[in-house]
Amino acid sequence: MSAESINIITIDFPDPDHTETIDDSFDRLASNESFEFPVQNIQTLSSKGVERGDDPYGLLYIPALQTDECRDAEKDYVPKNATRLDNLPHDVQYALIAVAPWFSSTCMKEYFATARNEPVKAFIVYQPDPESTATPPETNDKAWAMNDGGSWQYSNQFPTYAVPGASGYLIASQMSNYSGNISTVPHGDSLKQLYPETDYVRLWAKVAADSGTQLPSLWVFLVIVLGLLILIIGATSLCMHVVQRRRRNALRRRVINGEVDLEALGVKRLTVPADYLSELPVFPYLGESDHVEKSMAQASTTADAETSPKGLPLSRRSSAPDAPKSYASAMFAQSTCPICLDDFEPKESQVRELPCRHIFHIDCIDPFLLNNSSLCPICKQSVLPPGYCPSKITNVMVRRERLISRRRAQNAAGHTHSPGNIVARLPGAYDSFRARVGGTTGGRRIFSAPSRTQSRPADIEMSSGTPPVPRAGITAAATTAPEIVAVPQPTQQNGVEECPEPPSDQPQQRREWARQRALALLGNRHGPPGGEEEEQVRSRWRRGLNKIFPGFR
Amino acid sequence: MSASAKKRIMREYGECMTEKPAGMKINFDEQNMTKWEVLMDGPDGSAYAGGHFKLEIVFPNEYPFKPPVVSFRTKIYHPNVSNDDKGSMCLGLLRPDEWKPPNKVVAVLRLIQSLMVEPNIDDAIEPSIGNEYKENRKEFEKNAKDWVKRYAK
Repeated sequence: MSAESINIITIDFPDPDHTETIDDSFDRLASNESFEFPVQNIQTLSSKGVERGDDPYGLLYIPALQTDECRDAEKDYVPKNATRLDNLPHDVQYALIAVAPWFSSTCMKEYFATARNEPVKAFIVYQPDPESTATPPETNDKAWAMNDGGSWQYSNQFPTYAVPGASGYLIASQMSNYSGNISTVPHGDSLKQLYPETDYVRLWAKVAADSGTQLPSLWVFLVIVLGLLILIIGATSLCMHVVQRRRRNALRRRVINGEVDLEALGVKRLTVPADYLSELPVFPYLGESDHVEKSMAQASTTADAETSPKGLPLSRRSSAPDAPKSYASAMFAQSTCPICLDDFEPKESQVRELPCRHIFHIDCIDPFLLNNSSLCPICKQSVLPPGYCPSKITNVMVRRERLISRRRAQNAAGHTHSPGNIVARLPGAYDSFRARVGGTTGGRRIFSAPSRTQSRPADIEMSSGTPPVPRAGITAAATTAPEIVAVPQPTQQNGVEECPEPPSDQPQQRREWARQRALALLGNRHGPPGGEEEEQVRSRWRRGLNKIFPGFR
Repeated sequence: MSASAKKRIMREYGECMTEKPAGMKINFDEQNMTKWEVLMDGPDGSAYAGGHFKLEIVFPNEYPFKPPVVSFRTKIYHPNVSNDDKGSMCLGLLRPDEWKPPNKVVAVLRLIQSLMVEPNIDDAIEPSIGNEYKENRKEFEKNAKDWVKRYAK
């Protein structure tokens, strides 16, 4: 805290030896018959020991020197009878402000050493040049060098202020005027009539330190920069949070509108909530009755007419107009549970029917739907209703969905080119990402040779107990959301629009294609299975960063 | 692994025992039923005829919702089998996204047999072997027979 001004006035206070009650009260002498001087151009050399709102004040005096050399040298700068400690009452410790000329560093050390042992509240030094009126140099100037590395500032328990030489000499000379008894001071005659003769008339000073809130400029600068940085980070974070929130809401809306199928896209592995699962029909298996054959015939001829028996609002297929049927018709050809391979016992086995009309033992299908997937294990059709949206749309889901749709748009745009080029253009990260996504769910593969289905030997298709998969899913999807044909339904396994044909002409291209394909296949097997696990793998700071900057990659 | 999965594996093993698919032998360990060891003979008429191939089938904990993992323990010169110490295969119904719970191990074994008769070039995991099979059948058969002599006797 630097001093803004030092105000010097003349005071009268009673001699403690001659008064009954000792108190700190004093009288300020009238300005027209005393010395008053506001010191300007003050340089603060040290602000040690000054608290805010606690301005140092005290009687002015010149501390004693210890060595004769200094005492001799002092004579050139200090009038002979300037106020010393001896000129002040001895028994009472008044607050003091020391005044001394800075004519040599060794003598300055002696001044400070004396002052440290006395109740000094502040130290005023002045430069030896009596003509100087400018503000003295700053504290690190060589004029204040003590050759002790500045430790004097720390060993002194009081602040030190430097005043211009001219002011210093003026104060010192006035101190010589006000060092004797009341009759010797200027206007002593008139003062004698006002105050007892034993009273002391001395100079008194109060340092007006500034408010102290002002920090050194470097700190101010740093604080401002830091503040700005925090502000920018905060604003960016806020913006990203807002944007991410809007994206989440948009994704939720699109999921609810049926434009996006999170699980089919491989964005998120959904599971079926228990309360919804309990709504799916459960009934005892009725056995292979006439209904079954009838429905089988129907299923094979007009698969499109297949509809959920009760017109379930939850069914993924929007229902075809006709025919509510009995439960029995639902179990077309299934006589065994596809999961445990046990036969259903007529009228005994409790079976659960999914919206795609496949039936399973309750014990077999429920844990799977609750914990693993929301897709029918047989036809990969979603069990969840079209507008179903998981309660929490996470930023990871938003990111994946955006990435997938962006890649898809790119693919669609680049489809006019040779497919080999597409493969070559895909960045590696995309491959691994898609491989991962492909591994999570019943999503499609990235690179698939369309001719594979034909070349596959016939006998590896397992037919026992596999019912004909109703085709209605595709058509319904097309009718409900015709504008989003690019969003595949899980039943469109072989990704017609996306999987590039193997380039057939150039062997070089073809080899490259096959290599990519093989890599993708391996990626399928080693990729992390789900979004949550992947999140855990990420490092902690990365997660923290993502919390502050959602959507940041 | 859940009890139902174990039950299913037991059941499938039982079916394999009753059906006795030709040209293979299954070693089943009651203690560790998730890992089957299959000895498969190279099908007659293929380049692998006369060879005996050891296969390993490992059932994942999520079986039957996830496909079993098949690997050749005997080295085989085949476009669909990776040419490393893993000898892994990943195609057709063994692919996670194509696997369905109703599929059975017998079907997997039949798929492997048929692939030994006729490799699936479009799904080749070893493209160089696949190319050779397509463009230079004689060279391929020579190599395959060579490997059979070397590793599969």
